[in-house]
Amino acid sequence: MEQRLANTWRMTVNEKKFIESALLSGLRVDGRNVYDYRKLSINFGKEDGSAEVHLGQTRVMGIVTSQLVQPYRDRPNEGTLSIFTEFSPMADPSFEPGRPGEFAVELGRVIDRGLRESRAVDTESLCVLAGKLVWAIRIDLHILDNGGNLVDAANVAALAALSTFRRPECSLGGENGQEVIVHPPEAREPLPLIIHHLPIAVTFAFFSDESTLVVDPTHQEEAVMAGRMTATLNTNGDICAIQKAGGEGVPQSVIMHCLRIAATKAADVTVKIRDTVEAYNTERALRKIKRHSAPVALDVSGTLPNLRKNQVKSEDQREVSGSVGTQVEKLKLMNERKNSDQSNDIEDTSKFSKKQKGSQSEKSTQQASPKGSAEDMKAISPATESAKIASQTHGEKTLKDAVKPKHKRKKKAPSAVDGS
Amino acid sequence: MEIDRADGRNPNQLRPLSCSRGVLNRAHGSASWAQGSTQVLAAVYGPKAGTKKNENPEKASVEVIWKPKTGQIGKQEKEYEMVLKRTLQSICILTIHPNTTTSVIVQVVHDDGALLPCAINASCAALVDAGIPLKHLAVAICCCLADSGLVMLDPTKLEEEKMKAFVYLVLPNSILSVLPEESSSVKGEQMEQGLITSVTHGVMSVDDYLHCLERGRAATSKMSDFLRRNLQPQLSSDSSKAG
Repeated sequence: MEQRLANTWRMTVNEKKFIESALLSGLRVDGRNVYDYRKLSINFGKEDGSAEVHLGQTRVMGIVTSQLVQPYRDRPNEGTLSIFTEFSPMADPSFEPGRPGEFAVELGRVIDRGLRESRAVDTESLCVLAGKLVWAIRIDLHILDNGGNLVDAANVAALAALSTFRRPECSLGGENGQEVIVHPPEAREPLPLIIHHLPIAVTFAFFSDESTLVVDPTHQEEAVMAGRMTATLNTNGDICAIQKAGGEGVPQSVIMHCLRIAATKAADVTVKIRDTVEAYNTERALRKIKRHSAPVALDVSGTLPNLRKNQVKSEDQREVSGSVGTQVEKLKLMNERKNSDQSNDIEDTSKFSKKQKGSQSEKSTQQASPKGSAEDMKAISPATESAKIASQTHGEKTLKDAVKPKHKRKKKAPSAVDGS
Repeated sequence: MEIDRADGRNPNQLRPLSCSRGVLNRAHGSASWAQGSTQVLAAVYGPKAGTKKNENPEKASVEVIWKPKTGQIGKQEKEYEMVLKRTLQSICILTIHPNTTTSVIVQVVHDDGALLPCAINASCAALVDAGIPLKHLAVAICCCLADSGLVMLDPTKLEEEKMKAFVYLVLPNSILSVLPEESSSVKGEQMEQGLITSVTHGVMSVDDYLHCLERGRAATSKMSDFLRRNLQPQLSSDSSKAG
């Protein structure tokens, strides 16, 4: 296309020779070991379903969105998952805007096979009305910086974004149950996707000397390499996809060796993804509690919800509409505060302080870990972004803060509560 | 009358600004600019040889590529590209490197109102990071007009949708002059009074528009200070990005 504008970056012969000869002695230019990954860090955006992954110098952003569409004819009960990769020209001077080059298509296909064809995301749960309406999940992967090994980074970005994505809840209504009502996130808590396993892609680069191979090549190593292989595995030991498109021929023993290495690497990366997603979910639940004060307060029936984590249960637990099961300690503290605000017409401070004392004594009798988590909450809450509602206080929330003037109640709009 | 803004700001208050430069490794210059929740990442690839067919080869040209967060590129994105290109062309010194193209790539990370001003600010910072010669900096701001006639600065997405009209203004950076006061006026009129770009949406009267302009100008002095502080040279030495 714009050939005269593409000032391609070419490596000098000296650099090529240096990288190759260093690899013969098992040394890599950035000081890593041959089988080492670069530092992987995953950050989440403000919305659900957006993740940014840094793998060394490579930077990829993944965004997940959903839409209601008609299903494919041959699969009327299943939702769809589609992956779009954008090789942004900002990532590399040789990336052109417009039609994706062959490498972009290949990357999209490898990730697609790893995610969709291995059934990592449960598509049957995305069906709303069989044959008529299903959820179509769209993953957009934006390559922001090409530091090498885009496949692995993009894969992690897609998985992280999928793990934190929430789709709106919808229910059937209307006369014959054929109408679909999509509930906005304020009314009903959106639902996460069901992900069965995390397929992790591990890329190997082969060099012209047969015994040399590296894991997670940088873009300089990619310019020198003679062949590449990507193996997508999960922690159960299943191989979801293997991609080796041309390049240098390698013996079978090397391939088997690579798969073994890939299995260990996949386990590490899976743990990393799971931890960061966990941390994000906890923080998100905290934010949700701050925002949805009204639905929490209205539901005072006191029946215990099923808890995911084994936290200490106390008598005063209130049902929280649909929020992800997280540390109950935090929920309980917040619930009590909101309940007392709503239920009392007159701000009776003495009555409230009794409740305060009651819950504090409860807190002290509980184990150390919930208490640690309560402190954790206080530490996290200054760090989390304050909700846009003016009445929210910033920083630490203690029970004393709950004795707020009346204007807080005015801002709450009672909304439909999910009773289940 | 006071309108309660959802996040508790008063009408003249901007959202918290944050800017980081040099965030990408391959690009010659890059900057990430955030105004509240709206965040934009801009990257610049320095002068490349050759210009496109319909560009004037006697001057440098600027090419803008706008990447939305999700979805395909449509007319809205093309409009943003055009506005950004014209704005940046007016602040770059185009005569220094004729017959070259400087590419600016803008990636929307999150859109919560005032997207185009955020992108213009980010591109400006990225151009500085890349070392492209500029005449002066530009600061962009969004002013919206409520039904009651109240002018509010830096609206969020919800506010933008509710308002009667809003305008994106791009003004030159305020002047920090070492020379005495008199010499800062150009052709008898202060350079600070200039307006580089203005894009309006919705209907507003001339008085309201001028009112927005005044408010915007007052706010840009704060933004200029922020920009200036932020663009101070960093202590760590950056390795050459050309290779």
